[in-house]
Amino acid sequence: MNSLKVARMALRAAARPQPALRRGYADVAPDKLRLSLALPHQTIYKSQDVVQVNIAAESGEMGILAQHVPSIEQLKPGLVEVIEEAGGNKQFFLSGGFATVQPGSVLSINAVEGYPLEDFSAENVRNQISEAQKIAGGSGSEQDKAEANIELEVLESLQAALK
Amino acid sequence: MAFAWKAAGITYNRYLAVTARVVRRSLKDDKRLQAERRGEMDLRFAKWEGGKQGENKSLADANLADMAAHAGQSQ
Repeated sequence: MNSLKVARMALRAAARPQPALRRGYADVAPDKLRLSLALPHQTIYKSQDVVQVNIAAESGEMGILAQHVPSIEQLKPGLVEVIEEAGGNKQFFLSGGFATVQPGSVLSINAVEGYPLEDFSAENVRNQISEAQKIAGGSGSEQDKAEANIELEVLESLQAALK
Repeated sequence: MAFAWKAAGITYNRYLAVTARVVRRSLKDDKRLQAERRGEMDLRFAKWEGGKQGENKSLADANLADMAAHAGQSQ
């Protein structure tokens, strides 16, 4: 008698329809990050699932994984490293911009200029450093000195990345 | 967050332009030539008042003049 009751309840439970999972656009897999990395003239990543992205934010170096808290980070001119699903690591030096983590593991990085490290020339970097140092220490206008200091910051970061 | 460039009167827009210029100049020569073209900007504007077009000014020059005038005002 008891077993019949149990069997009937089990049948009812099985017949009850499950709440329909609402799916809109394809959801990001729970352990992946959907990355879009775009420059004004070029899209490096367009809604591609990756494993992890390391960025150089003004508030510090950050590693962004799936399920990251939504946040907006101003980027320092520096290296962004993308760890892809297939296990490849790609590094790009970005000139600055913003990284936005949106709910649902969506990361959008916008930068003005960005290139893989092999596209840079250490010699050009060195020449620019010496020129910028001359201007920064020279007798030009405050504007020129401030701009030279900005350049030095970027160049030092680039030089360190190229080593 | 106080930035040194902001205290010197440089706007964020100009900061981005300077960092982009540096990055472009640091490229290897073949990519650099293509990239440098992106940095060229020659935009002119004129203010209209009372239906009359004012003087045609270059945006770059106007921005530099404004920044120099406001240097040191922002914290």
